[in-house]
Amino acid sequence: MTAPTARRVEPSVEVPISVTVNGEAVEAVVPARQLLADFLREELRLTGTHVGCEQGICGACTINLDGEPVRSCIMLAAQVDGSVITTVEGLSSEGLSPLQQAFKDNHGLQCGFCTPGFLMTLSTVDPEDYPGEEGIREAISGNLCRCTGYGGILQAVRTVWNRPKDA
Amino acid sequence: MPDTFELGGRPVYTGAHVTRRQDDALLSGQGTYVADLRPSGMAEVAVVRSPVAHGRITAIRTAEAAAVDGVIEVITAADLTDVAPYPNFAAYTQTPGTFPLAQDKVRYAGSPVAVVLAENRYIAEDAAELVEVDYDELPAVTSLEAALEPDSPRLFEDWSNNRLLDLQPDDSEVAAILASNRVLRRRYKMGRHTAMPMETRAALAEVHNGRLHLWCTNQHAHIARTTLSYVLPLAERDIRVVIPYVGGGFGLKQHLYPEDVLVSWLALRHGRPVRFVEDRAEHMIAAAHARDHMIDIEAAIADDGRILAMRVQVVQDLGSAEIFPGAWCPALTTAAHMTGPYDIRDCVVSVAAVTTNKTPGGSYRGFGVPEAVFALERFIDEIADEVGVDRLDLRRSMLLQPADLPYTTASGALLDSGSFAESFERVVELGEHAYRQADAQYRSDPDSRVGVGYAVLFEGVSPTHHGASAHWMGHESCTIEVQPDGGVRVASGVTDQGQGTTTFVATLTADALGVEIETVRVELADSDATPYGLGAFGSRQAVIGGGAILLAAAEVRGKVKKIAAHMLEAPTDDLVIEAGRVHVAGSPAPAVTMAEIATTAVIRTIDLPPGMEPGLEATARYEPELMEHTPDTKGRINANAAYANAAHAAVIRVDLGTGEIEILDYILAHDCGTVINPPIVDGQIWGGIAQGLGGTLYEDLCFNDLGQPQTAFMDYLVPSAIEMPDPVIEHFESPSPNTPLGMKGVGEGGTVGPAAAIGNALAQALAEFSPQIHETPLSPAVVRAMIP
Repeated sequence: MTAPTARRVEPSVEVPISVTVNGEAVEAVVPARQLLADFLREELRLTGTHVGCEQGICGACTINLDGEPVRSCIMLAAQVDGSVITTVEGLSSEGLSPLQQAFKDNHGLQCGFCTPGFLMTLSTVDPEDYPGEEGIREAISGNLCRCTGYGGILQAVRTVWNRPKDA
Repeated sequence: MPDTFELGGRPVYTGAHVTRRQDDALLSGQGTYVADLRPSGMAEVAVVRSPVAHGRITAIRTAEAAAVDGVIEVITAADLTDVAPYPNFAAYTQTPGTFPLAQDKVRYAGSPVAVVLAENRYIAEDAAELVEVDYDELPAVTSLEAALEPDSPRLFEDWSNNRLLDLQPDDSEVAAILASNRVLRRRYKMGRHTAMPMETRAALAEVHNGRLHLWCTNQHAHIARTTLSYVLPLAERDIRVVIPYVGGGFGLKQHLYPEDVLVSWLALRHGRPVRFVEDRAEHMIAAAHARDHMIDIEAAIADDGRILAMRVQVVQDLGSAEIFPGAWCPALTTAAHMTGPYDIRDCVVSVAAVTTNKTPGGSYRGFGVPEAVFALERFIDEIADEVGVDRLDLRRSMLLQPADLPYTTASGALLDSGSFAESFERVVELGEHAYRQADAQYRSDPDSRVGVGYAVLFEGVSPTHHGASAHWMGHESCTIEVQPDGGVRVASGVTDQGQGTTTFVATLTADALGVEIETVRVELADSDATPYGLGAFGSRQAVIGGGAILLAAAEVRGKVKKIAAHMLEAPTDDLVIEAGRVHVAGSPAPAVTMAEIATTAVIRTIDLPPGMEPGLEATARYEPELMEHTPDTKGRINANAAYANAAHAAVIRVDLGTGEIEILDYILAHDCGTVINPPIVDGQIWGGIAQGLGGTLYEDLCFNDLGQPQTAFMDYLVPSAIEMPDPVIEHFESPSPNTPLGMKGVGEGGTVGPAAAIGNALAQALAEFSPQIHETPLSPAVVRAMIP
């Protein structure tokens, strides 16, 4: 019996990228098919970016890419050459940011798995684009949370956006 | 209750808004979940899953996959020669003989058939596509009705039918009452949905000094360890299970899944770390599904509508049942809750749990209670309509009043306390007010109808594990150690999936010892570091885990006082412990600190009172005395340490054009006895309501006639912030006389009522069309079909 010939299933083309992540310049050569989320988590070890669905639905993997909230599970690392990325680890250089503190004060998290995605969405969008109470809900409607029922999250945003509920 | 269940002194933290312990880490991306672990040399797996729902495996060809660069090994069931099937301890069930990989047959689409171990998940997935499996397909059983048919194809050929469980109690007494009264019959069904935690399942196995270390998302470190020892060729002492941060469990992570066993086996075989991280597509078909119940009620009705007696048949669709612990217990729990908090003395429930060619059912928050509440509360509204009485008055005529307590239900549940009638009246008051406002707002809108519906319920909390496993019972454990610097280490068998367990352990420990909470370090969910406990299920941890904490703390506290009395030359009984200092009551100085006492206890032992043993720690276990593990000859059992209660009201608007239900107001009055941390309790209720709403309105796991799963995550509509109402939550506190501090569990009450409340609201809103509301989910398509 002869051993089967080794077979490479997909030629893995590698792509060089230069990207700024949380203020630090990163040079890397990534497999062309590597997801951005996997690059951040497995290569840069920024594991605060969580992968909840790998299909762009749950929002847990949201990062700030050049000022826009994007889902790092449906982008390739190869696409971010020349970009500036902020992940949850880069939200605050010391202590908690006001947004993070508001989540803590208002019990805006339980298991914490979806939390980085909410924080990255909220720290990236412009509150002016989401007026009123309904605007708060719309701003976070692309992030799913299974623990809190959103109550504490909504209250945290009302606090940070200075938008009292009954105003 | 023994006085050891008291706190040591005045509660400082218990009942206060204590900040959650893990939040700083979680908010800054520093919480370490299983998928975040990446030890050096780690390999990853991809699981080859059956694409067919029912079939015989005739061949598996792995050579091509094994030859892919970066693939370490491809294994099938045939390789697992030293692995035993999961045990089944329930003599009253038929045994599915669950094995981590399909042996001869597959019984659901998604069943694990082979595993590829590779340098990383990308390569493993590539190679998994090259594994070829031949199936001789068999007819699939895809509904519980089909599974009940005598000539139904059998999933397990050595069984005589598809009934894993079939309990038919003697119903002669109820039959006699039915025979001599007006009888009403209805059938209710609850659809198939699931917990859908935002973190999927994950497991990472490593071998250290010949011992297996499994990092996993399971809700029980010790049950997982013991189960692994049953299945793997390993002594239990050579297994360590650690559960790091977990992204939500909700019952789904109670089961020790095949992948947990498989990564362990591969790590032992290859001597390198092996990680499995489930992707969401796998999760949809391979992690436990839930609900999928059918309930037939026959009731003898008095002229005024009161239920005189009930005969109920509960059938649960288990899917393939290849899961451990087994998944039939929700049906038993449904049976135990069929009378609700009503004075219905005669109720007999038969229970069947059947196998179908669908993903195995399992545990999910609510665990059989939402099914019972939906059926009974819809039934009461239907009786009221049928008999022509007011649905609220009908409830009032049967609801347990304070004078009725303690009350033992027909199923044997001991309701020792509760606010059934009071919480109901409060919810009615708020619900009717909200309904009038909604009615005024939408009365002139020809495209809208509004309605209000109610549900009132009790819910067994802190149950025995025996109903699910027929093996484990109901205790919890705790070790408290005061270290020489006065700091405290508390280790317990309870676990934290995000619900705040760590925080309540610190809270109760600090108050029970009289120390500052910052000096308490909590260790959970590491089977090497904590005494044997049963972990998270059934809203039990504050009650049972809390009991163990209080017992251990009482022992430590007693010794602290004895040492302090010796040092201060004061009578023990005169001493109090406050903020880590011991002094005579009313006289803050002189005092000795916890550090001085602990240093004496474990270092300068020469200064201990004569004859006292060194050391300042205690391990205690709490097993509630009144909790029963097996039913009596009539099937009655008090399976829980406590019973919480709640009343729900939903005010809804139905869009007649689309059939969409909008929740205008949701009102819930809840009673979980003594509250430890109000914001955490509120968070549990909010989250519970969200999951209850999701299962009622949006979430549906569908299969076609071939047993092919039809629901992708894209179609599985977890409620977002847009759909979630702002519930009004009212708290009642009826402490149990039989639990530590009077606590009851709070984890599930929010999930239990929405189906019933919304179903009843819909019946009222669409009354002009006489809708038949007997099933969930109540999706827009289903509702639209009720409208001419």
